[in-house]
This record gives sequence, C-alpha cells and structure tokens, in this order.
Amino acid sequence: VKSSPVKITNASPETVSPLAPVATEPAAQQLTVCLAGVPNAGKTALMNGITGGSFYTANYPGATVTLSRGKSRAEFGPQITLVDLPGIHSTAATTADEKLSCDVIEGRNPSIIPDAIIIVVDATQLERHLKFASYVAKQGKPFVIALTMVDLLAQSGQSINTTKLGAALGATVIAVDGRTGWGIDELITELRRVAAEPGNNQDALAVIDDDPVKAYPEIERLLEQSGSLRRGRAMQLAADTFTSRLDSIVLHRWFGFPIFFLILGTIFASIFWAARPFMDLIDWGFKQLGQLSLQVLPDSVISHFIAEGVLGGVGSVAVFFPQIIILFFLMTLLEDSGYLSRGAALVDKPLSHLGLHGRSFVPMLSGYACAIPAVLASRTIPSKRERLMTIWILPLMSCSARLPVYALLLAALLPGAAGKAGLALATIYLASLFAGALTAGLISRFVMRKQTTSMLAMELPLYRRPLLKPALRITWSRASAYLKRAGTPIIIISSILWLLSNFGFGSRQPDLPEGTRPALVTSSDLDHSFAAQLGQTMEPALHPMGVDWRVGVGLISAFAAREVFVSTMAIVFHVAGDEDSQQEGLLENMRTATFPNSEQRVFTTSSIVGLIIFFFISLQCLSTVAVVRSETGSWRFAALQLLFYTGIGYAVSAATVQVLRLCGVS
Amino acid sequence: VVDFARLWFYPFSAGFKLKFIFILRLKESSMSLLDAKRNRAYRIKGLEGPTDECRRLLDLGLTPGEEMAIVQSVPFGDPLVVVVRGMRLALRRSEAAWIRVE
Repeated sequence: VKSSPVKITNASPETVSPLAPVATEPAAQQLTVCLAGVPNAGKTALMNGITGGSFYTANYPGATVTLSRGKSRAEFGPQITLVDLPGIHSTAATTADEKLSCDVIEGRNPSIIPDAIIIVVDATQLERHLKFASYVAKQGKPFVIALTMVDLLAQSGQSINTTKLGAALGATVIAVDGRTGWGIDELITELRRVAAEPGNNQDALAVIDDDPVKAYPEIERLLEQSGSLRRGRAMQLAADTFTSRLDSIVLHRWFGFPIFFLILGTIFASIFWAARPFMDLIDWGFKQLGQLSLQVLPDSVISHFIAEGVLGGVGSVAVFFPQIIILFFLMTLLEDSGYLSRGAALVDKPLSHLGLHGRSFVPMLSGYACAIPAVLASRTIPSKRERLMTIWILPLMSCSARLPVYALLLAALLPGAAGKAGLALATIYLASLFAGALTAGLISRFVMRKQTTSMLAMELPLYRRPLLKPALRITWSRASAYLKRAGTPIIIISSILWLLSNFGFGSRQPDLPEGTRPALVTSSDLDHSFAAQLGQTMEPALHPMGVDWRVGVGLISAFAAREVFVSTMAIVFHVAGDEDSQQEGLLENMRTATFPNSEQRVFTTSSIVGLIIFFFISLQCLSTVAVVRSETGSWRFAALQLLFYTGIGYAVSAATVQVLRLCGVS
Repeated sequence: VVDFARLWFYPFSAGFKLKFIFILRLKESSMSLLDAKRNRAYRIKGLEGPTDECRRLLDLGLTPGEEMAIVQSVPFGDPLVVVVRGMRLALRRSEAAWIRVE
C-alpha cells in the first residue's frame, strides 16, 4: 500500500524563486503566479476574470484539467503570467494531473517556477479547502487566499469577515468573484506585496497536520477563532435550501431520468437545428472563397491546391464550428449551474456496469457532434481505465460528419420516402448508443478487467445561476482551442489526400484547345490518380462489400473527414453542375452505375446497407486518431482503435452484404 | 445488523432478556452507512476500506466524529447523496459501505 506523506521541500524561497532582482530592477521582473485549488473551487472563473479570457489552454468541458497560461489584463498594472494548475482532490497525488500540480507547488517542476501562488478557496466549504491551503502553505511559497463563492454564502444568510479569517490563518484573504471581476484588483495588489516580501511562512496554516483526522479539528479551531465556522448539525445544513429542493426534483426517483433526458434532448436538438443555418452559411462562404481564390490567383497547381486542398480542408472543420460552439456553450451553462455533476451522478450506476464512469456521459454526448472534443472532454474522468474505455467507444457515437453520408445513402436506398429515411436515421443514432454500450460492456468483461477500484465520491456543487458573459468567454476559449487542435491534423490530412487524388503516374490530360484548361479535378484525372490506383488495387477487397473501386476512392478520401465521401462520389460518378442539382445528379448516376464490363448495378439495397454499416462502425477519421494518440500518449492505443473499428466495420459490412444476397436481397 | 423478523420471536424464546440487550448494543455500536436511514444525522466512527480510497474520503472531510446524513434518493438507489461538512457528495454504494457510522 502506497502511503505518500506530503514531502516538504526545504528549498528556501530565495533559491526557488529568483526574487532578489525585484529590489534592484523592479520593472524587468515579471511575476509568475499559479492558481491552485480543489476542483470546483472556481479557479477557471478567476483565471478568466484576471486574464480577461485571453489565455491559451487546451481546456475542455468539465473542469480545469490541463495547464493553461495567460497574462493579466492591462488594468491590473504590470503584466503577470498566470498558470492555472489542475484541481487537486487529494495531495496524495493519484492522477497525472494532480501529480503535475503537486510538483509545481512543491517546486519540483523546472519549467514552471511560481513566484507566488493564489490559493482559490470556496467560502461555502472552508474546512476542506483550507486543508488544501495548509498543504500549499507548507511549501514555503508566498501565497494569497482568494475566497470565491461569497455570493452563495450570502444567499444562505452567512458572511465571513476576511480580515478576521486572515488574522486567524496568518495569511492574506481576499474575497473575489471571478465572474464579475469584483475584488480582483485588490487580489493583485496583495499578490505583489506578498511576492515582494517572501519568507513569512510561520503562520497558523503551515503548521496544520498532514493527517486529515488531525488536520480537520485544527482547521475547525482556527475557524472558530475567526468566527467563520458555521456550526450546525448535518441535517440543519441540508434542510430546505434551494439546492436541496431542486435536487429532490432533478434527482427524483421517477422524474430524475425524464428530466435528464429532456435536457439532453434539448442540447441534442439545438446542436442539430439551431446550428444548421450557420453551418450552411459557413459551407457556402468557403465554397465562394475557394472560387474567388481560383479567379484571383494565377491558374496553377498551387492555386488549385489552395482552393480545394487547403480551403476545402479548413472548410470541412469550420463547418462544424457552430455545432461545437453551441455544444460548448450549453455544456458551460450546465457546468456553471451545477447540473452537470447531477447528471453524472444519475447515470453513474448504469454506466459503471459497462465499465464506464458517471462523468463519461459528457464525452458521449459531445461525441454526437464530433469525436474530437469528446475525446478531450474525457479528461475529467478520474480513473485511467474508465477514461480509456470512454475514449475507446467514442468513435461509435454517430458524429455529425456521418450525417451527410447517411443522408446520401438513405436517399439512394429509399428514394422518395423521406419519412422512412428519417426513421432509419433515428434508428441509426439510437443504435450507435447501444453499439457503444455493447462494446464497452464486452471490453470491460473480457479485455480490460477491473484492476483498481474506481471512485465516484463526487461533490455536488450548490446550484447557482450561470452568468452569460463569463460563460460566453469560456465557450470561446474552449472552442478556439478546439479549432486549433482539430484543425491542424484535418488540414494536413486533407492536403495529403488532395495530392493523392490529383496526381498519379501516367496522368492524362484530355486534349483541349489552347488557352482552356480543365479544372484540375476531373474524373478522367481522378481515374489515374494515386487514390484511384489505390482504389483499384484494393478492388478485390471491396467485392465482398458489393461495391467497386470508385466507392473505394470515396472510402479512402473519407479518412480526411467522413463527409468528404459525398463530394468524392460526385467527382468519381462524373457529376457536374452546382450544389443544388448535384445531389439529384449524383443520385441518378449512382442508381445507374454498373460494374465495368457487366450489367450488375453497384448500388443495390444490399451494398447500400453494407456501406451504411461500414460508416456506422469504422473509424474513418484520421484527426480523431491523431487526437486519441495525443490524449492517451500511446500510438498503440490509437492504431489499435483504428484497426479494430475499421476491421470490424469491414467484416460486419461484408458479412451483411453476403447474407442479404443469400437471402435474395439484391 | 438488526434482524427485525427474528426480533418478533425473542419475547417467546428462553434467552429473551440476554439477546435483546445484545441486539440493542449492536444498534448502538457502529453500522455501515448503507444501513443508515435517510434524513437522519449520523456520526462517523471510522472508515474501513482500501487505504488509498479511504484516504481520499478523509481528505474530502469524512473524518471520525463528523456528522453526516443521507439526504437524497437517486434512481436505482445508487449513488447516495450525503451531506457532510456542508457539502453535498455523491457516493457510490460501494464507497458508502466503507463508512462506519453511529
């Protein structure tokens, strides 16, 4: 059994933080300040308040789970570099995030050496948060305590005298509200003062015992002195507050789940319907931009590369941006209000049966918009096994890149029956949830057996009304981080695929009169491109699926992003014309397409069903693979996932086509 | 801990007095939080469970002597919502089983 007592580093503040130059050259010294605290203490809100939301982070729904850095706003005087450390549940650091935070606080991390630390303390839960503060105080760094959630305290008719509390603790305590910016300038002023005169760590906080059994009574005694201890029986504290009344509704034995699904359904609906006009606008904008660049730039391979490869790639990411923004915004609102952890508590029981965690529901929901933010959101899951399990099943969630593909294939399968197609689409979405559950269940039973006990022990924060402006700010910083994160691999991959489908050995340009040059992507070109050669090479493998090499080219190009399948099909099936007539022409050409040198149709009921199943299962998104690799830190995991889903997708699809054909369905 | 079905028979059995006292003692001594009633305050006696996990519960403030109560039933009866140190906490039944209360 590993019991790791908190190690107190003996490094004196002078050696850890080079503060000596402050006296001689005050202007040159830029302070580095870390924000530390227990999860849910309000660190991210405070970070937003100090930096004005302009911090760089790879921070996704849930809580602060990676380091984010930012600069303080100009109105707070000389610039301060702020580092938001991951929340620490327990100083016996169990997760990588906690270990990193502990390393920084204890001065063992060479890359981040804080000059001072802001300890973020929730005023409604002084005892627990001060226990953490005592751990920080022991490390010998100058610190200031930022007291958050003071507004919640006022709701229940309580107040804390920060001067008295500070005197009892022997530390500086400043009440702040990161969301409105109240108290931040005072905090910064105190921070500078404390950082300039380090070494005063013989305070009451630093001598508190590490052992929680001894520490809590000591903290209670200190709070008693300052008059901040709310004494009361557990029941009195629980009884008849707004939070407990709301909890008795949203966690109700019968109504809990209907409310949960109602909220989920609302988010789901707004991802799809509210985002639609914006997505169309962005799609149209990028098409125009591509055409414009073709007109403006001199006609060359480069201009086509920019218009179709690069802009097309950027467009295929940007088109999902409205959905991502709406998703992140609603998630931020839910998180701020306190409902998100209730949702996690509700579904913990069923999900833990599948080897997942209550918190897995946030990534799973995000997965219906895009797998990439979903993979990033799974960081908030505490145990590694459950996090990996969640990431493993995320590609099955029917992401919105699949939607255009399903729409095309269902229109080909059920011509003229929009109602039936809609029903089929709903079935596909539900089925993807069940497929995820099944996969998780099977893997947790047979592959990744439980090795360590996982824990829920999750705090349910008090409800409070989310504020619009801070929520928008956090949404923006999360969404732009997503764009950077997902955009880079998508642009690289789509560029590579563009090159593959536009260049090839023995490429043959049709003879044309002088001066007129065909668009680079003509089907005759595509027939001889690397992609086509690859498609023709893998043609034998495509026969079990009942399709020919042209569909194979579509399947390869879909690895850039699944919806690229549709535009590739338009190219390989020789469809010309603008966007509106394209869909009709494509459907017509698909209907009449036959295998070379035979009368047999390519798109029959069985082969379309096979294709739908293939898209349903296979991980046709190299960007997801790239993000999974960077999140899990393992190429093996990412490659295994890619091979697993694509292999199973192929096998199930081929088997379905063959069985359907045996049963007489063409 | 207290078997109410058997309690009915004790008045008719020979060792009635002795057994009844024994049962009362059991009632007084610690029990698992799982057996605790809803909306009633209990005092934590201690934690019995895996070391690392119990350390986390201690860090959360579930220290001996502290009062806690189960305040909310959740669909499926799992997790339990408890109040301790003015904080609402969702605990799985497996975690609640480690907590001895009186």
